[in-house]
Amino acid sequence: MKLYEFEGSELFRREGIPVPNYTLAASPQEAREKAQELGLPVVVKAQVLTGGRWLAGGVQIAQSLDYVEKSASRILGLSIKGLPVQQVMVTQKVETAREFYLGVTVDEYHGTPVAILSAKGGVSVNKIARDRPDSVVSRPVSITKGLLPSEARQMCREVGLSGKELTQVAGILSALYHVFRNYDALVAEINPLVRTPQRSYLALDAKVEIDDSSLYRHPDLHLSLKERIPNPLERKGRQIGVTYVELDGDIAIIASGAGLGMASMDIISRRMRPANFLETGGAITADLLYKVMDLVLQKEGIRAVFINVYGGINPIQEGAKGVVRYMQEHGVTIPVVAKALGNRQEETWEIFKKHGVKVVTDVSTEKGVEQLAHLLEGGT
Amino acid sequence: MSVLLNRETRVLVQGITGRAGRVQTKWMLEYGTNIVAGVTPGKGGEEVEGVPVYDTVAEAVAKQDAEASVFFVPPPAVKETALQTIDAGIRLIVVVTEHVPVHDVMEIREYASDREVQIIGPTSPGVITVGEAKMGIMPGNMFTPGHIGVISRSGTLSYEISINLATGGLGQSTVVGIGADPVVFTNMPELLRLFENDPDTELVVIVGEVGGMQEEKAAEFIDRWMTKPVVAYIAGHNAPEGKRMGHAGAIIQGDYGRGTPQSKMAALREVGVDVAKYPAEVCELVQKHLICP
Repeated sequence: MKLYEFEGSELFRREGIPVPNYTLAASPQEAREKAQELGLPVVVKAQVLTGGRWLAGGVQIAQSLDYVEKSASRILGLSIKGLPVQQVMVTQKVETAREFYLGVTVDEYHGTPVAILSAKGGVSVNKIARDRPDSVVSRPVSITKGLLPSEARQMCREVGLSGKELTQVAGILSALYHVFRNYDALVAEINPLVRTPQRSYLALDAKVEIDDSSLYRHPDLHLSLKERIPNPLERKGRQIGVTYVELDGDIAIIASGAGLGMASMDIISRRMRPANFLETGGAITADLLYKVMDLVLQKEGIRAVFINVYGGINPIQEGAKGVVRYMQEHGVTIPVVAKALGNRQEETWEIFKKHGVKVVTDVSTEKGVEQLAHLLEGGT
Repeated sequence: MSVLLNRETRVLVQGITGRAGRVQTKWMLEYGTNIVAGVTPGKGGEEVEGVPVYDTVAEAVAKQDAEASVFFVPPPAVKETALQTIDAGIRLIVVVTEHVPVHDVMEIREYASDREVQIIGPTSPGVITVGEAKMGIMPGNMFTPGHIGVISRSGTLSYEISINLATGGLGQSTVVGIGADPVVFTNMPELLRLFENDPDTELVVIVGEVGGMQEEKAAEFIDRWMTKPVVAYIAGHNAPEGKRMGHAGAIIQGDYGRGTPQSKMAALREVGVDVAKYPAEVCELVQKHLICP
């Protein structure tokens, strides 16, 4: 789960990373009042869960209270990469003498944390690494030992820091590692960390992503995944316990696994257009598939439903009952094609067939999709 | 012969008294798996499907000589369970549990790194040596004995590919679900090495998907070390960027330009791997290798 900048800043504060004074505002008037309390000049920043805020005009520097109000009004009306801006952060404008990039993330393949430091901040670290590879160092971290202060200092030396700057930046890198570790982060990033002309150090942005699977042990963060999903159908999917991703076609997909769902998407895309990706996971019940049918059919203009399930850990015969109950109660007339294999497949086929679902007994998804196309072209 | 497990392997089931643990124990036994013990703390002395239950792994190892363990324990318990199991000297662990915190996976991985243990998962459908034994939730009737090794990031696709292979007269030696999380305990190249050294495996099928670096790293390994042919399928050509497609690991990180199905297919093709566009094509490509190599 990605955190908003203000939430990330709060975690930074807790671990002792200095951040500029900031407040939140949900209206232009409120932004004006907050700016007055903070003192001018200020920066008004859109709070959205995506990058690219500068380019979209979501970050404005304001020298006057009138301009604070004007820019807050403009930013609160923005939608950045499809995400409407509902709050702005108003922060003290900070003078910058030098910028750094600090990050801690997961090296997925090797399964270790990795600390990254660059003496050039401000732009994306990928761009820095591409253009100036010598100015970026990264180092795998032993998760049982943690990032040792000596290791953080060594990284600072490697990017050419010395003296007080070396110890200051190393201290902040260690603190960032604590944010990463203490809050089960997948990413904790400061870009940029700035040195002011007065030689103090401040994190001007906070990018933190927390592992969804660990949210149960961070109740103090009061984070709810459901509230963060902007797409209403995707949010509903999360509520009923399935993964739903909306796509732009008109063939609904229901699969009992993510790989199978993706393969179904791939095959359907050869000649038709999938309306969604939906994956039930291993907790199929009649009730769940009833709700899943309701979910995929909420999208406008669905022409057919393609069901692709395996009975491994899932009782697919129960799933079939839920599907046909939904079809009866709601008078579903569009084609529904089901490929269902594994434990209790014959029983599942009977339930489907009796209620007008076209059953595919062939073992390949390709054959199932062919039947679906055939039905849509008016075949039987 | 086979990789990881066979009909003699003495298997322990952890979380055996839970709902999934009970049902799956029954099915694993029916398949022929040599389950010698179960562990659930506080349930020592009970029996599940005739299998004795112990309170600790150490006891199960001492009394029943268990050597491999499959986990049906809830996510918060996985770390402690794994460390205990490694300490007890178990050599193979299969973690079926989904939603294990990534930091816990990293800790277990580091703990296991200098010890003699192979861990598969998490979020793994399991390991099945076809016709002999299975540890996990794979439905036995999807598999046919033979000489194709299968390494899959997805459970359901490992079933789909295996039954498709069977319709083309091609059985499987061992099928391994490596797990669908961004960090897994055992990466694809380590399993390719096991299959390369297994006299019973003639060819290996890799089933990949969007996200991560597994397939790219597999390509590097194949280029350097593999003498046996490899065929691959990568799911998710149409996955939208930045969206998780169910599996925590299946997310395209747009800004890295890697982890896309295209980059994976290109990396594999470059080292001579035949890459299927769709699952059913896997069978044709395998046949081509085995009939006219």
